[in-house]
Amino acid sequence: MSVTFNKERKVAGWLLSAPLLLMLAALLIWPVYLGVKTSFTHDVLSEFATYGAGFENYKNLIHQPNFWLSLRFTLLYAFIATVAEVILGFALALLFDRVFPGKRVLFSLMLVPIMIAPSLMAVMYRLILNENIGIIPGFLQRIGINFSIFDQHNVFASLIVLDLLEFTAFTFLLSYSALQNMPSEIYEAAAIDGANARQVLTRVVLPMLKPAIAIIFLLRILDSIRTFDSVFILTGGGPGTTTQTVGIYIYKTAFIYGDFGLAASAAVVLVLLLAPFMPSIIKQFNLNQGGGK
Amino acid sequence: MKKKYGVTLLASIWVFIFLIPLLGALYTALRTDNAISSGPFVWEFDSSFSHFKNAMGAAGYDFANFFKNSIIISIGTVFLTIFISFPASYAIVRLGFGGPWLLRLALALRITPAIFFVIPFYKLFTAYNLIDSPIALILADSFINMTLALLVFSGAINELPLEIEEAAAVDGASIWLTLRNIVLPLLGPGMAAVGVLTFLFSWSDYLFAVVLTSSEATPVTVGAANFVTSYGVRWGDISAAVCLSVLPPLVFATAAQKYLVKGLSSGAVKG
Repeated sequence: MSVTFNKERKVAGWLLSAPLLLMLAALLIWPVYLGVKTSFTHDVLSEFATYGAGFENYKNLIHQPNFWLSLRFTLLYAFIATVAEVILGFALALLFDRVFPGKRVLFSLMLVPIMIAPSLMAVMYRLILNENIGIIPGFLQRIGINFSIFDQHNVFASLIVLDLLEFTAFTFLLSYSALQNMPSEIYEAAAIDGANARQVLTRVVLPMLKPAIAIIFLLRILDSIRTFDSVFILTGGGPGTTTQTVGIYIYKTAFIYGDFGLAASAAVVLVLLLAPFMPSIIKQFNLNQGGGK
Repeated sequence: MKKKYGVTLLASIWVFIFLIPLLGALYTALRTDNAISSGPFVWEFDSSFSHFKNAMGAAGYDFANFFKNSIIISIGTVFLTIFISFPASYAIVRLGFGGPWLLRLALALRITPAIFFVIPFYKLFTAYNLIDSPIALILADSFINMTLALLVFSGAINELPLEIEEAAAVDGASIWLTLRNIVLPLLGPGMAAVGVLTFLFSWSDYLFAVVLTSSEATPVTVGAANFVTSYGVRWGDISAAVCLSVLPPLVFATAAQKYLVKGLSSGAVKG
């Protein structure tokens, strides 16, 4: 049995994976080649000829202050937003980790931001923050606060708050799932040992959930680093280039200024900067997936 | 008992804060133009729902077309993603295909920013004349969602008891029969999780849509954002358009909330 069986398994493996392998060839391997090749090409939309340019784009990129500023903005923005979202999400998960009236409905409503496209959320933000018709500036005026939301000095904080309102639902959900997976015996044992609620949290729950929180942090910060839609629609990267994420920088360089070569080199640099973190992240995931099976 | 209502109150306040944007849009869409231009707190109910009618085509917007595109793209992506990821996950988990490498590759991809693929995809789809066609977005969105689908499916297949499949093999069932008659029916929840997540994420895509479409295949995300700039003063219509745009994923994901939660947490934390 085993010879034909093994052969059948091998054939089946290839056949079942064929769609995936085709997809990887067409939309991963070929595009990666194209992307890297473009980064070594002088490829500007307004000029007819494209030609191999060696490291020209990379040399130019080093001297683009806007690229480095966008990188700094992205990392700062991603880090602050993620820390805030992980803390708030976890705190709200603790709040929901008990029985109370109306829990089912409120839990469902907590998840609504996850279901709204960030770009559509950004359009809603523009609506409620509009100086003439928005309810938020209207409310602030009424209580006598003079605050210009997208002013150069406030824009960073405003964007963080908006990010928080949008993505805390995600960290909340994952924290809540992690809390639900805690075996109830642990709480019982802690109660028998006479631990109070605060001790249970800081000495039992938090240490046990450290790996889960680490993964939530990683997932969220990696998503934050790609932020494009919401900031692009809210500020377009402005005022000036103060809120330009790397994504917006790459998009504008390619599709507004038409320099595909320079944009591709920025994209390659971004991936190379993230690459050192990949092995440890893959390991983290595998541990959680019970990998190695 | 009194304390418990305190929790309800606190949770309600947070829910309200998170829902302000959506409630704000709904509030604007339901007011008359007259009220909107008079100030943010002037309430005059628009009983004819004219903003919703305008958004759906009465005012000559392309919005109905954007809506249709979003539906085609999202449903197409759900089917293609499942078609690619489900059989491959079985091959990876049960037949040991590709060792651990295919899943590791999927994880590495999950980490790679989508912006990296924007320029090559633009060049690739231009070369094959697929720019501004729903096919381009279905392919791009399936590629992006494939990694999460592989993780969810392989996790779900891993949790199935191996004995049933072994028994089927002993009874002489081929891998195909086992897959179709035994694994597939047991994988309903995983399928639902992948379905709802893929629908949600492809409906939400903006980056690929803004690069790969220009007018014909534009989905609601890009359409609604363009609304703001092209019809800047018609806030009522824009609000109605946005409210309609968030409706399908909201209804679908709320109905399938159990699977949404399971899918999101199994892609992240083992759930």
